[in-house]
Amino acid sequence: MSAFDPLRYRADFPLLARKVHGKPLIYFDNANTAQKPQVVIDAVDGYYRDYAANVARAVHTLGEQATAAYEGARDKLATFLNAGGRDQLVLTSGTTQAINLVAYSYALPRLQPGDEILVTQMEHHANIVPWQLVAARTGAIVKAAPIDADGVLMLDRFEAMLTPKVKLAGVAHVSNVIGTINPVAEIARLCRARGIPLLVDGSQACPHQQVDVQAIGCDFYAMTGHKLFGPTGTGALWARREHLQAMPPFFGGGEMIRTVSFDGTVFADPPHKFEAGTPNIAGFIGLGAAVDYVQNVGLERIQAYESGLLAYATEALQSVPGLRLFGRAPHKAAVLSFLIDGVHAHDVATLLDHEGVAVRSGHHCAHPLMQFFGVPATARASLSFYNTREEVDAFVRAIDKVRRLLA
Amino acid sequence: MPSCARSTRSAACWPDVSTLYRDIVLDHHRMPRRSGLLEAPSHGCDGVNALCGDSLRLELRVEHGCIVEYGFRGECCAITTATASLLGERVQGLPIDALAPLQSAFAELIAGGAADPALGDLAALAELARYPARRKCALLPWATLAAALGGESRTTTEKDAP
Repeated sequence: MSAFDPLRYRADFPLLARKVHGKPLIYFDNANTAQKPQVVIDAVDGYYRDYAANVARAVHTLGEQATAAYEGARDKLATFLNAGGRDQLVLTSGTTQAINLVAYSYALPRLQPGDEILVTQMEHHANIVPWQLVAARTGAIVKAAPIDADGVLMLDRFEAMLTPKVKLAGVAHVSNVIGTINPVAEIARLCRARGIPLLVDGSQACPHQQVDVQAIGCDFYAMTGHKLFGPTGTGALWARREHLQAMPPFFGGGEMIRTVSFDGTVFADPPHKFEAGTPNIAGFIGLGAAVDYVQNVGLERIQAYESGLLAYATEALQSVPGLRLFGRAPHKAAVLSFLIDGVHAHDVATLLDHEGVAVRSGHHCAHPLMQFFGVPATARASLSFYNTREEVDAFVRAIDKVRRLLA
Repeated sequence: MPSCARSTRSAACWPDVSTLYRDIVLDHHRMPRRSGLLEAPSHGCDGVNALCGDSLRLELRVEHGCIVEYGFRGECCAITTATASLLGERVQGLPIDALAPLQSAFAELIAGGAADPALGDLAALAELARYPARRKCALLPWATLAAALGGESRTTTEKDAP
């Protein structure tokens, strides 16, 4: 295997060549959204230029081409996740819609007063709030399994909380704030042994490691396209076939029906049963191109490279006086949440931007995790395979400037 | 201009940011005036921007329609802290009737308008006109002051954030 050369891939991403405040852009906000390679931009552009038409209803040439490209993207994504079958992959606007679909279509009809939904303390709001909404309607309760000071899920505590009251569990594959990679296959085994369905939030995992939903053994896997170098407004829910067959539709409308009359409507089979209305056709065609792209680069190579980059960045940040890193899980993705003593995260982000460095500041849609660490906000650098050690060096120099100015 | 070798803590050494993080802003961030809560406040309010993670408590003692004492404590960014500090310096001793026009003048300033001389040192924050995402930081102490006088216990400036 040849050495991984990030510069070779950077050239594929036109946006990475731009400057911010006169400085070369250092894009370290990949956990928020990733940049897009030219092949994705071309795929979206090509649809609108050459064969824009609606899907699954037009018999003319453009309609056939659009349908083939759109459903082709589903096939690519199904292979990418080792879905087992294309009928098990519902295309959604992103992870949030995918989780809400499970909450309203799967959980809501089943929950009884006193039932529990078990999540973890490191979840994104998208894997907390939908459960709270259906819990409020049914009298169910949302509970969170604790994490330790390093940001690692306390698996024994999670297991102890998997009581017969638990009707569904939801766990992040990878934490968006601290990068912890959860042992989702082990968690799925624990849940399955008790007959508890498990949803895995894969938003942050898919861009950084090979995901095999069947090997994980979960019941539902939610993912998003825009963090996987695809267009915004794309994502998917993978689910076990028996769940999708049993679940009622969430949205009603066109495309999700077989026949409609005022005496009753016959719904389409999964996945189309859950895909009412005209979808984000161009977006999914772009996502198909993104999946091809990352598979060409190779997710194992991406993971190995990012792991080295994370170790390099962690060591560099640890040398900065007064800098506190949050999350030291032994298995983690290249996400670095930090604070500098005496400096608020927003000032860090504003000042780093002046050096061309884009990081996120705030609570990262994970209030419970911020409460656990006892901080209102952190700054977060999240890396991708197109980032380099030279960028990490420039980032650390910029942090030093911030520290000297404000700390 | 201070020498950078001598004074690395001045934004003059980082020209790109020196217009937002002016020396007077940095000074009020590092050494906030009127920091600390009051022994006998007549008014008080918490200003919390949960999305940002800015949180401050502002307390006042109002006598005969005038702010005779002002104090605050918070866990805030430099812009919010400096604004709360500069605001305290400006409003201490003022009749509460004078606050609304001052607050409008400040809001106008950071939206790109001219500096009203009545704002005094608060005019140092004019550069926020170029940082729309950070305006809510500077508006938080103002909103908290107004809410305290209005008898509210909690306020935020995030609802109208861009």
